[in-house]
Amino acid sequence: MGKQLHDNICEEHIFSSLFNKHAKDLHNFLYYKFGDLLNPKDKVQEAFIKLWENCAKISPEKAKSFVFTTANNLMLNEAAHQKVVLKHQQTKPKTYTNENPEFLMQETEYNDKLQKALSNLTDAQREAFMMNRVEGKRFKEIAEILEISTKAVEKRIYGALEKLRKDIKEL
Amino acid sequence: MKRETLISKWLDNNLNDQELEAFKNLEDYDDLVKLNNNVQAFKADNYDTTKELENVLSKIKSKKAQSSHWIKPFMRVAALLAICFSLYYYTTTLDTTIKTEYAQKTTVELPDESTVSLNAKSLLVFNKKDWKKERDVELNGEAFFKVAKGSSFNVITKLGTVKVYGTQFNVKQRDNYFEVICYEGLVGVSYNSQETKLKPGDSFLIIDGKTIAKEKENRSTPSWLNNESTFKSMPYKTVIAEFERQYNVDITLLGIDSTQLFTGSFAHDNLDVALKSITLPLHVTYSKTNNTITLKRE
Repeated sequence: MGKQLHDNICEEHIFSSLFNKHAKDLHNFLYYKFGDLLNPKDKVQEAFIKLWENCAKISPEKAKSFVFTTANNLMLNEAAHQKVVLKHQQTKPKTYTNENPEFLMQETEYNDKLQKALSNLTDAQREAFMMNRVEGKRFKEIAEILEISTKAVEKRIYGALEKLRKDIKEL
Repeated sequence: MKRETLISKWLDNNLNDQELEAFKNLEDYDDLVKLNNNVQAFKADNYDTTKELENVLSKIKSKKAQSSHWIKPFMRVAALLAICFSLYYYTTTLDTTIKTEYAQKTTVELPDESTVSLNAKSLLVFNKKDWKKERDVELNGEAFFKVAKGSSFNVITKLGTVKVYGTQFNVKQRDNYFEVICYEGLVGVSYNSQETKLKPGDSFLIIDGKTIAKEKENRSTPSWLNNESTFKSMPYKTVIAEFERQYNVDITLLGIDSTQLFTGSFAHDNLDVALKSITLPLHVTYSKTNNTITLKRE
């Protein structure tokens, strides 16, 4: 095991496996935290290129936090923090077939409210909540990604849920 | 079980059957399900890990390639500099050539304070860089030299070399015609490996390989510097040749002996007056068409 610690990220197959393991999570994390205006895909790319450039100095165990921290900083550098608006995906398959105009209107109204409510969450709440609800990740997985305790994740997500419901009712 | 715990367990996908039933009986169950369904629409863009990995790897490789080839643009700049430098070196060591065309005169200052006046249709070549080592000029045509004092000064022509130390003299070298007139100082003329020394007023003249004695020159500068060509007992053809050079014309002689001697002068600034000057004394008529002049005995 001791030797394993010095496995080099500079080797392409190790780098690639790290990428396969973390890139998607990183992308989604950035997306839910910052929205899509700041090109989360590009930031993932940049962060991994930086990982490659520093491959000799970073052990594979540290690689995940390195790319998450780097990408997060890249995002923060880019913009004075602005309100994050998540994009409503129009391509979502319809679940109802018997849509009448009134229902459609209500649905649009509800989605607008939801969008606004999501924007009103804190970054920490939104990223945890979306990873849980949309990406289907369990508390423990999110805790690993964010490097916080499971309890903290639960608190964030539950807090987010309550806040969303309250906002939707009030709006 | 408390409502909060149920919801938390639902969020963590951790409800057992019994708990699920209890959860479904919560008054806000419908609300929660609706929120859950609608929030799915805010899913992140699809992330194609394989494609993105390819992008990253290709970027990394192109970066590597760039960094190892930093020497390439450097070589380009170096090559450019080398070309510029050699061009500069080449042009500065190149001979300087001064040339006059028909009906044109010019005065040149040499790297020391010597001056050279070039008559029409003449060529002067010298090298600025070697000037300190040897004051050599090549001449083809006619020129008047005012040489600054210093080391020997050589005028090299096809027919002979003129060597001086600081003086004023005129060299005229045309086809089979070589004339040196000394106006000041001392001039040595090498012709056929024989050296002739000229004192002020002396002249040295070779026409068609024959040395011709001439009267003492009493002017202080050659007459052509004052836009006039003067001849004393010169073959008519040398007069005609000089005329052609000064006016850029072609002269045809009809029934005229080109070797007969001519004494006189013509000006360089008026063609008609000049033509009269060279025709009247010999009782010759002339006719002009464009650039061709025909001289005919009366």
